[in-house]
Amino acid sequence: MNESIEADLKQTEPRISHEPEEVTDISLAINEASFPEQRRARWWEHVRIDKIVMFGVSLYLFVMAITLMKAGASGIAPLLSDLFEVSSGANSLGFGWLFAYLIMSGSPVAAAALTFFDAGILDEISTFAMITGSRLGASFIVILIGFIYIVRGRDRETSLSMGTLAFTVTASTYLPGLFLGIFFLKSGFLDSFQLSSGVLLTSVFDVMIEPIADLVAGVFPPWLVFISGIVIISFSFNLFDRCLPQMTLKESHLGWVSRLVYRPVIMFALGAFVTLISMSVSISLSLLVPLSYRGFIRRENVIPYIMGANITTFVDTLLASMLLENQTAFTIVLVEMLCISIISLIILILFYSNYRKITLNFFNWVTDSTRNLVIFLITILIIPLVLLLV
Amino acid sequence: MKLLIAIPSLTQAEKIIRFAEQIAAHAEKPIHLLLVMDDKQNYLISLAEEVIKLAREIMVNQEIITRLKIGETEKEIIQAAKEGDFDLLILGELPTRYLSKMVHGVRTNKVAKAVICPLIVVKGKTRLIRRILLCDSGAGKSSLLSRYTAQLAKTLDGEEEIIVLHVMSQICAGPGVPDRDLLASVDELIEFHAPEGEILSQDMRFLAQPGIRPVPLVRHGLVVDEILDEARKGDYDLIVIGAHQAKDWHRFLLEDFTRQILIHADRPVMIVP
Repeated sequence: MNESIEADLKQTEPRISHEPEEVTDISLAINEASFPEQRRARWWEHVRIDKIVMFGVSLYLFVMAITLMKAGASGIAPLLSDLFEVSSGANSLGFGWLFAYLIMSGSPVAAAALTFFDAGILDEISTFAMITGSRLGASFIVILIGFIYIVRGRDRETSLSMGTLAFTVTASTYLPGLFLGIFFLKSGFLDSFQLSSGVLLTSVFDVMIEPIADLVAGVFPPWLVFISGIVIISFSFNLFDRCLPQMTLKESHLGWVSRLVYRPVIMFALGAFVTLISMSVSISLSLLVPLSYRGFIRRENVIPYIMGANITTFVDTLLASMLLENQTAFTIVLVEMLCISIISLIILILFYSNYRKITLNFFNWVTDSTRNLVIFLITILIIPLVLLLV
Repeated sequence: MKLLIAIPSLTQAEKIIRFAEQIAAHAEKPIHLLLVMDDKQNYLISLAEEVIKLAREIMVNQEIITRLKIGETEKEIIQAAKEGDFDLLILGELPTRYLSKMVHGVRTNKVAKAVICPLIVVKGKTRLIRRILLCDSGAGKSSLLSRYTAQLAKTLDGEEEIIVLHVMSQICAGPGVPDRDLLASVDELIEFHAPEGEILSQDMRFLAQPGIRPVPLVRHGLVVDEILDEARKGDYDLIVIGAHQAKDWHRFLLEDFTRQILIHADRPVMIVP
């Protein structure tokens, strides 16, 4: 008996393996010369002119929208101060949160917050809080899409997984980040980090944008100019999303993202990088579907990915602050990015394991029953409303 | 099967020897017993002699070759395992300070990475091996894992129950993704020929041998947490896992689950390279 065991154990190669076996398909073994050589496409044939044009148009519309919002922001002042009575950081947080729900996007709201600051309607802290609120509201979109799938009869847990996790991670990093940011802004130690290169960027567009923006501002009332700016900036983001390469393959070469479990810092960097290019967390998350095997992603990988995405999603807001040529607005966005980075890295380095457990337990609780889901949805609808009204 | 029993600390000696005895009964003779000490003091030498005496008492029918080494524990064990071309290494847990665990990983894991043969780390509560938890991720040479486990089970007396566990830690990457496989039971995964079902089917085929009762199992959640939870709740006698396969720069990218299970498991762990 011992001898047979020894023989078996010493066999290092399995008889059946996951490795694909080398199979020679005889029917394909035809002399290659029988076929004309397939021409390899040149690099410039891969260039999509339509996408480049679309990118140029989206950038133009983005700058146009910021200009219009800047020109019309004063028209919104009565709405903020008299109707909603936005006078504190909490009010601004709630306002930004609800505004993002309303237009189903965070970036236009963050840009709007900067134009309000530029027009003197909001102070530093309130602007910072409104930008934070915009991100909380933006993460609701994925939940809403998941909820629609549930209504259409899909499983609760699978439909809501990404949305709930995105919201939970965003809330748990942005809310501590809010307090850290208020401290940084009040202490003013980042005031020296100001960039004035927006002048160069705006001067390029001045000739193409100013005449049209002046014309619109001269004809329409300021509040309508501001709203048209919001509509245009939302459209420009939508157009920009279409510029991104479409992942149509069922399983792309990047399917490894879902098969292996990566160190949290690696997924954090990947999430930050993908969002730096796509500029939107929801786009960055939706890219995971075609990029991953069967549309699945490992629980271990997803949380740091969202954390990374939550930082670089501010790139467009940073650009907006440069276009406004307002150095303090630039500092506010920089503080936002820095605070979220600090909070995320503290979590990743010091207590990621516990954080992940708590986050996933919360997700399990939300998806455990319809009652819990309803409680969760009502809570995230009521909280911003309460913040706005306090 | 050529067996090496390594005792890195004299306090664990009896536990390791008693655990190893059940495997040693069917192993190739002689059994190699290695005692490693970091200090050559007289009282330690006499303690080592007592350990050797105890080993001869417990493994009464075995021919035992004993070696006493003074030096750095993991180095000596790795060297002995490599020189002897062993088929299985049984060793005790190498004590590691908490901070050192965080920075360098457990010392036992260093041995696991360095040796080319399977090893069993004797830790926590030990008893006769009857229930084995075989954790198969499906990565690498997954079938080798079940083959080794089957061979180990063959060396043990009586019937062993081997639970083949696959942890599905995946979730839908977005709303609207087809979720049939995520919601499926073990039987359905096998029936659907889902990748997880294929892994389990293959393991079942390898383990379908006399004296072994294989049972497939799928759990959903975080890989390490689910394995440790199943090990505790199922009251297993041994956890079997594959060694961390990442090489070169992949080491900086991938999580080392073997290390985490080795740190947190409260019972013996077998690592198959």
